[in-house]
Amino acid sequence: MGSRNKILIVEDDENIASVVQTLLETNGYQVFQARKCKEALMMTTSYVPDLVVLDLGLPDADGITYLKEIRHHFSLPVIVLSARSNEHDKVEALDAGANDYVTKPFGAAEFLARVRSALRNAKGHVPGKKFELNGLSIDFDSRKIYVRETQIHLTQTEYNIVVLLAQNIGKVMTYSQIIKEVWGYPDDGSIKKLQVNMANIRRKFGEKPGKGSYIINELGVGYRMNDELTDIS
Amino acid sequence: MKKAQFKSRNILITLLIMTLSFFLSVGLQYAGIEEHIATLFVFAVFLVSLNTEGYWYGIFSAIAGTLMVNYAFTFPYFSLNFTIGANLLSAVIMIALALMTSTLISQNKRQQLIKAESEKERMRANLLRAVSHDLRTPLTSIYGSSSVLIENSETMSTEQKEKMLKGIKEDSQWLIQMVENLLSITRIDEGKVKIIKTPTVVDELIDSVMTKFSKRYPEQDVDIILPETIELVPMDALLIEQVILNLLENAMHHARNMTQLSLHVTALKKQAMFEVMDNGCGIEINKMNDLFTGIFEPKDGQADTKKRNSGIGLSVCATIIKAHGGTISAENRLSGGAVFRFVLDKEEEEDGQQK
Repeated sequence: MGSRNKILIVEDDENIASVVQTLLETNGYQVFQARKCKEALMMTTSYVPDLVVLDLGLPDADGITYLKEIRHHFSLPVIVLSARSNEHDKVEALDAGANDYVTKPFGAAEFLARVRSALRNAKGHVPGKKFELNGLSIDFDSRKIYVRETQIHLTQTEYNIVVLLAQNIGKVMTYSQIIKEVWGYPDDGSIKKLQVNMANIRRKFGEKPGKGSYIINELGVGYRMNDELTDIS
Repeated sequence: MKKAQFKSRNILITLLIMTLSFFLSVGLQYAGIEEHIATLFVFAVFLVSLNTEGYWYGIFSAIAGTLMVNYAFTFPYFSLNFTIGANLLSAVIMIALALMTSTLISQNKRQQLIKAESEKERMRANLLRAVSHDLRTPLTSIYGSSSVLIENSETMSTEQKEKMLKGIKEDSQWLIQMVENLLSITRIDEGKVKIIKTPTVVDELIDSVMTKFSKRYPEQDVDIILPETIELVPMDALLIEQVILNLLENAMHHARNMTQLSLHVTALKKQAMFEVMDNGCGIEINKMNDLFTGIFEPKDGQADTKKRNSGIGLSVCATIIKAHGGTISAENRLSGGAVFRFVLDKEEEEDGQQK
């Protein structure tokens, strides 16, 4: 594993923090814990972790405050771990700069997959000529997309959406983030437009509902390109 | 605003009835049958009291009626005269009548309100009782298993431990679903307002549902048929997701001998129809009526059976669909098994032109 990835857990509930710590440590990560927002800010600057697992309900401040604060200085990936399951809370955290959002209660396998995914995502997308992922390949020069060797014919907009998700693989992109990148400006019908485009993309990719796919759909929140196909089905 | 509306309505009713009876009285007087005028006003006062809220309109019309009868329709005409005992008596009778009618009416209304309130209270208590009962069983098992694991971990075999841990996991998963359902209900109750609907693509909804479902039941295959076209249905997607999950889960729990589970979505002209079908044992006829009410009073002796989730899931479904203005129903299929069906309105094609 070489140098072990450092993960900071910001969570005020001791039981949950200890479960997450055990889970991460047994999977080869080095783990620190912070109970409060202030403490977490200090530890972030002194340890510079590779990833932060953040609970939203902290005793001294909201997790969003921490998130906004560190986003001034760090681009490290943050996975929000929260009991709040409203779409609104998710969108708020993601728009504030979180990479992913895991709702409590969560399963161990799923959580680890998200952690791996976020760490990989943080290494950055290497701007190359080609993107490859488990049978999906994008040729940026010729603007062509293949799924298992078969070319998929997408419209201009559909192509742009897929490329955007591919460039942010592993990260949940909210509707508004995608709309801003693809259309440049938001309007009333744009979420609907995006959803319809996405439905078309998924059909063209030949994806079956719930069977795990390249694009994971977070209902009411956004989309994420999935880089762990094996973990899903 | 509502209060002001009521007020103007009350005033309108009062004026209407009183004017009407005034003109009727004039007519009666012309016809020469003036001895019934007082009776007519008594009836008018009764009508006003019956159709307005509170005492004041009735009392007002009683006084107005007395004055009119006294002033215009009894001897001496066009003068007030309370010296004649009969006139005074009719005034007292009318006011008394107005008071009594109003009192009766308001009492009746209050009782109806209390009745409705207590009905709601009873439903809530029923639900709470059912939920607490349903929570206690898995909690007992989790608590027991973990205690055993902590205290006897050295003497237990690996298989024994694994079995206990599996039990803990299953029971907590079950608790999670339970809490999801309760949360759904609070999401509806929260603002007492209508739920917020956003247009949702059916494909995405079903994808999200199936991802969750196959996580819980990886070995269960679901046969899915979606509409050819891309359909947008306005809904609170999290809630509808919960409904479909509950229906699928219901089949998993209750459809004995099921070999095939299907989820079909059909696009109708103005609606979308969702169907969850199984080919299991079907629904018992005597349960049919109470299916969606959530009132399965645990019968004696049945309380501790393994069969949990006694209908709370379905009553949550009904609540959610109702809040969406849709309909939900269940029936047995001719070919065996049950089908649960709900229908939601599709989005109206109006904004095609707006852009």
